[in-house]
Amino acid sequence: MSVDVACFAKGVAMEMHFEISKFLYKEARLLDTEKWDEWLQLMAPDVHYWMPMPENRRRTDSMGAYERGQGALFDDNFFDLQRRVARFKQPSAWAEDPPTRHVHLISGIEAYGGDTAEEYLVHSTFVNYRSRLDRDNDVLVGRRQDVLRKNANSFLIAKRKILTTQAVLLSKNFNTFL
Amino acid sequence: MKTIQPVAKALTLGSTNTNGKGATEVGLDELLNLDQGRMSRRVFHDSDIYQLELERIFARCWLFVAHESQLKKPGDYVSAYMGQDNVLVVRQRDGSIKVFLNTCPHRGNKVCFSDVGNTRQFICNYHGWSFGIDGRLKGMHASEAFDASNFDLSGFGLHEVPKVDSYRGLIFATMDSEAPSLAEYLGDMRYYLDAVFAMDGEGTEFVGGCVKSVIRCNWKYAAENFVGDALHAGWTHDSGAKAMVGASVGELHKDIESSYQVNFNGHGWEFNQDIVGNCASLGDKELVKYLYALQPKVAERLGDLRSRMIGSISSCTLFPNTSFLAGQNTFRTWHPRGPNEIEVHVWTFVNKSAPEDIKERWRKGSMLTFSPSGVFEMDDGENWEYSTRTNEGYITRQHDLYIGLGMNTQILNSEMPGNVFQGQVNEANQRAFYQRWLDLMQSASWADVPRRDVPKERV
Repeated sequence: MSVDVACFAKGVAMEMHFEISKFLYKEARLLDTEKWDEWLQLMAPDVHYWMPMPENRRRTDSMGAYERGQGALFDDNFFDLQRRVARFKQPSAWAEDPPTRHVHLISGIEAYGGDTAEEYLVHSTFVNYRSRLDRDNDVLVGRRQDVLRKNANSFLIAKRKILTTQAVLLSKNFNTFL
Repeated sequence: MKTIQPVAKALTLGSTNTNGKGATEVGLDELLNLDQGRMSRRVFHDSDIYQLELERIFARCWLFVAHESQLKKPGDYVSAYMGQDNVLVVRQRDGSIKVFLNTCPHRGNKVCFSDVGNTRQFICNYHGWSFGIDGRLKGMHASEAFDASNFDLSGFGLHEVPKVDSYRGLIFATMDSEAPSLAEYLGDMRYYLDAVFAMDGEGTEFVGGCVKSVIRCNWKYAAENFVGDALHAGWTHDSGAKAMVGASVGELHKDIESSYQVNFNGHGWEFNQDIVGNCASLGDKELVKYLYALQPKVAERLGDLRSRMIGSISSCTLFPNTSFLAGQNTFRTWHPRGPNEIEVHVWTFVNKSAPEDIKERWRKGSMLTFSPSGVFEMDDGENWEYSTRTNEGYITRQHDLYIGLGMNTQILNSEMPGNVFQGQVNEANQRAFYQRWLDLMQSASWADVPRRDVPKERV
């Protein structure tokens, strides 16, 4: 899976790694509990939140599976994210009522120094398990690459790249964030 | 390629042969009573009906396989589906386009596993049979063994789909060499297609890739939604509309005078004349401005009516399984995967002549609204899945469904091509879709398909 792995980038101190991990776990909990507004507050105003759908291309193809400007489930700025949240909060969002039950599992966290002293490059893996009504169960697994920016005692998400494994999304919709 | 031979598997849908017609015809007749606005749920559930659909709908009709902009150079190809048959759509050295079954004639393996690309040949992974982009067998691993068996390469090319043609950049193919021409098949719909796919005379292109997803619904629920279901927009998509534009969908059922459903041979388009209603739902003023600036030119070329369709609240299905939305510019195919599942392929189309910035805004806007995570599409899948799934109940599926909205709304003396109905909140197009479905399902060959619609547009 094509992730820009910063193998030799400078790692962070144990305390910082711990703070970053806590931040990502908290973010996952906000999503699981539908605390949309609090989740939005974790986003930087200039956030790029991107989840491309992969295409099956041969290794010799100059285009990769995940390319900018291609089909995407998310290719969002802050305003786009706000509009998605606005839909979730409508009483007429029928596909969210009764609510979907979400669990976001976050693992494999690796944190490195970013381009500036204020920023960190963070890799993580996720499992999103969603259950709805009686037997609607969907699972999505993938990798994320974040740029986190220091903000007081916490962080803001300045960039997020989400890479899923499914070239055909095996679900009728995708009704959460990752 | 040989003409597809009908399976001619007799369906005994709970009725006996009493009038000299085959059991299939007798049984199917009882599924629809469109004059009364009623239809049976077995249409969406029965696996024998599904198998007959693969034969009589998907192996017979013209199906969308690619947009010309996806195949710029010789050797460019995309993988597509015709029913459940995987095909490769390939640009040839002479600029023409051929379509092949993606299967090796030796042991049947796929010869191409990528979705899209450029190649000089397709090589089967199993025994190394290699095929030119024209489908001809060129050679294979251990070819001496075949030589020793007097093997003749010329008889074992990729199976070619017999008919391929395009209209306004949209490439269609049919498995049936007896099929009418694409122009005849689309008929009067071409008049309306021009409003969107030849808006400024420069044509359209697909931008970005293809987003694919699965919905566990019968393919006809998706197709009939786009062929004529303006009704659901105000209710189903209320949350999406409020998110994107801060207001509910307009009260379409009150706009009778300036909205229509038109259909021809099962294809249908429902629309009003607000110019940019669909486009506005992308929440990007630059796109609305672009269409407003273009509208006078479109009016000059194509007339006032069509200039008001370029981004209006509207939807269209080309029978059987190709749909698009003007304004939101999403284009999609609903590929059947059994009676209870479809694979949805979604692209974004834009005017070729549009500035790059506008194209990019459309790609983003169409993904934000009409991808599986889109604020509108999210609610459709839920509806179609449960419309399909409830029919698992034996008693439930004995109860007919209502499809009678807008009876007696046909405008018989309309100047507009096709069958024209007043008011876009209507089920006229859905009834026409199912009439065409029934006609095809009951016909053993194209020659037997009833000719109900006579084109006004010159074929």
